Amino acid sequence: MIDALQAFVVVAVLGAALGSGWALAPYVARVLAGSPTFLDRLLGPLEKRTYRLIGTDPSSGMGWKQYFFAALLLNVAQMAIAFLVLVGQGALPLNPQGFPGMNWELAFNTVVSFASNTNLQHYAGESTLSYFSQMGAIQFLQFTSAATGVCVMAAMVRGFKRGSANMGNFYVDFVRVVSRILLPLCLVAAVVMVALGVPQTLGGYITVKTVEGATQRLLVGPVASLVSIMQIGTNGGGYFGANSAYPFQNPTPITDILQIYLMLLLPTTLVFAFGELVGKKRETLPILIASYGLLAIDLMIAFIPSMAAVGPGIEARFGAFFSTFWTVVTTAVTTGSVNSSLAGNNPLAILSAFMGMVIQATPGGEGVGIMYMIMYIVITVFVVGLMTGRTPEYLGAKINARDVKLVMVAFLIHPVIILVPTVLAYATKAVNAIPGFSSLPTSVGFTQILYEFTSSAANNGSDFLGAAANTPFFNVATAVVIFVGRFAPIMVLLALSGSMIGRRRSESQTLRTDSGSFSLVLTGSIVLLAVLTFLPFLMLGPILTYFQGLVNFLG
Amino acid sequence: MTTKVEPQRPRPASYRPIVVLAVLSMLVCGLLFPLVVTGIAQGAFPYQANGSQATLNGRSVGSYLIDNNFTLPAFFHGRNESNPATASASGVDPDVPLSYALSQVPRIHNATGLPEATLIAIVTSHVQWTIWIGGDPYVNVLRLNLALIGDYPAAYSGYG
Repeated sequence: MIDALQAFVVVAVLGAALGSGWALAPYVARVLAGSPTFLDRLLGPLEKRTYRLIGTDPSSGMGWKQYFFAALLLNVAQMAIAFLVLVGQGALPLNPQGFPGMNWELAFNTVVSFASNTNLQHYAGESTLSYFSQMGAIQFLQFTSAATGVCVMAAMVRGFKRGSANMGNFYVDFVRVVSRILLPLCLVAAVVMVALGVPQTLGGYITVKTVEGATQRLLVGPVASLVSIMQIGTNGGGYFGANSAYPFQNPTPITDILQIYLMLLLPTTLVFAFGELVGKKRETLPILIASYGLLAIDLMIAFIPSMAAVGPGIEARFGAFFSTFWTVVTTAVTTGSVNSSLAGNNPLAILSAFMGMVIQATPGGEGVGIMYMIMYIVITVFVVGLMTGRTPEYLGAKINARDVKLVMVAFLIHPVIILVPTVLAYATKAVNAIPGFSSLPTSVGFTQILYEFTSSAANNGSDFLGAAANTPFFNVATAVVIFVGRFAPIMVLLALSGSMIGRRRSESQTLRTDSGSFSLVLTGSIVLLAVLTFLPFLMLGPILTYFQGLVNFLG
Repeated sequence: MTTKVEPQRPRPASYRPIVVLAVLSMLVCGLLFPLVVTGIAQGAFPYQANGSQATLNGRSVGSYLIDNNFTLPAFFHGRNESNPATASASGVDPDVPLSYALSQVPRIHNATGLPEATLIAIVTSHVQWTIWIGGDPYVNVLRLNLALIGDYPAAYSGYG
């Protein structure tokens, strides 16, 4: 259990995210709608030249296929650039430690992981990557994958919005999201982070003589700029192998709280921006209640056990409380950064982490959180329509049989790409290749394998195994799961949204989707869908571990 | 009568936006942004931007944010030196829980002769203020040891 002060801190952080999300939403909605904003004077001329250079007419819109393939191809091109940077870093500048180029398999794994907003890392940045790679490959893809997520949401909303003629222009969306949302927010966040102790330098590692006369190297670098986008962009891949447990990435409880807040900031903003974008602010209500309601439940589950003293795998400055708080939030927004080793967390905190990753909408990753929420809404509208005998409609559009098939496909991708590889890992005995795996209690080992694929599929990126999963099976399997988990749902749900364009809209919806009661039904149906699908597996993993721990403790 | 000729604008190949935008986004997000942040950081917050280094007698002896690896009995020790069962997540945790610092007081008393009450007072005065936002009480090992060196030059004559 947490005490009153800690409960207050949790409420204050969530409140700050909600408050600033609400305040920022109109601006973000204007950026996505192409409306004038206060940054036009500065960015307008640059933007026009950019469109000319790209060769796109900003006023021309795209259909869903065009939009999807533009996004996919741009991501692939960006992966290619980052790949070249990683394998060629030995010949590139800003490499004061003289690291050699990355081998191509690891570089491939890394760019897939970062371009998909996953950030599963099979390397430790401080001993592998030059400053140029940290900036020109890692930070670069963290910006672009976050921007892609927001673009997908913007397109999806346009499809659902009454009166839209097309899905918008992907290139325009991308340029505006990067230049008017991500770069300004990250600039402020990065400078604040430096002021609070996170290094930002291009000078090489610093060698000092300690008080006792030993030689020590201080692993500084361009850390703050990376941390800003990794949290704001719900990426999660750290500068250091230990991620935000490493003191240079997260020096104090203040930076810890700031980073938790930054993870929540844009996903929360997009929840409010959704209502602005569809032109009915009240349509934000069910998304807000479901996402934050479920996040609150996850936090409560995680805080049930006593917040024990600082144990192994937990940093002294964070303790069990800040570590648990972080673990729940980082999975609820599918960021995947960590400030402790997951093995040091209570099984119930891990259960909450699983909930965040199987739902993917509490409030979920950048843009895709809203995308998954729309998927849940369509399923719920359909089920409620069946139960009450009313026409299932969302935003005035009738939901037909094809729509329901598409959302079911989108929904089922997730369990399939998590559960099938988990079973395969055991069936092919691939788990035995993990060092030390056989000595783990069965439920703990199972939790770690299930977590690896859940985190990959949800594009989260936190994991128990880390470099231990650097085996052929896990490298290939997670890369495939990451790629399918990112782009397959995006394609299916853009297809769903694209089919809404030009559809006849009814003026008065018989089943209201902006009411408190619908919000509760939505929340319940999300829990039901997630629980029905994953509960048997979670029972064998973290839940079993928790009760075994209780039995050991009592007996 | 003349036929009206539509001005033939060269139709950009479909890969052009992809290639140009990919390169442009790398230059802006991957290079320009971190360089601008580095410039501001080095100008406005050089101490933090270069790793919050601690100085003793005018030279850098490490960072307040990274475990200084104390091993002599006269100093407080970090968590990472003792044994794997207490190891932190980062392996370089510069702090220890208050209780762990207090448990080292008898050893330091034996090594230096400083009264235990004095040592306990120094430890408790170094508890970080973040207990006021719900954290567990902890102390920074390097700050603690530098305070000992500064306050008791006789006991730490080799270092002060």
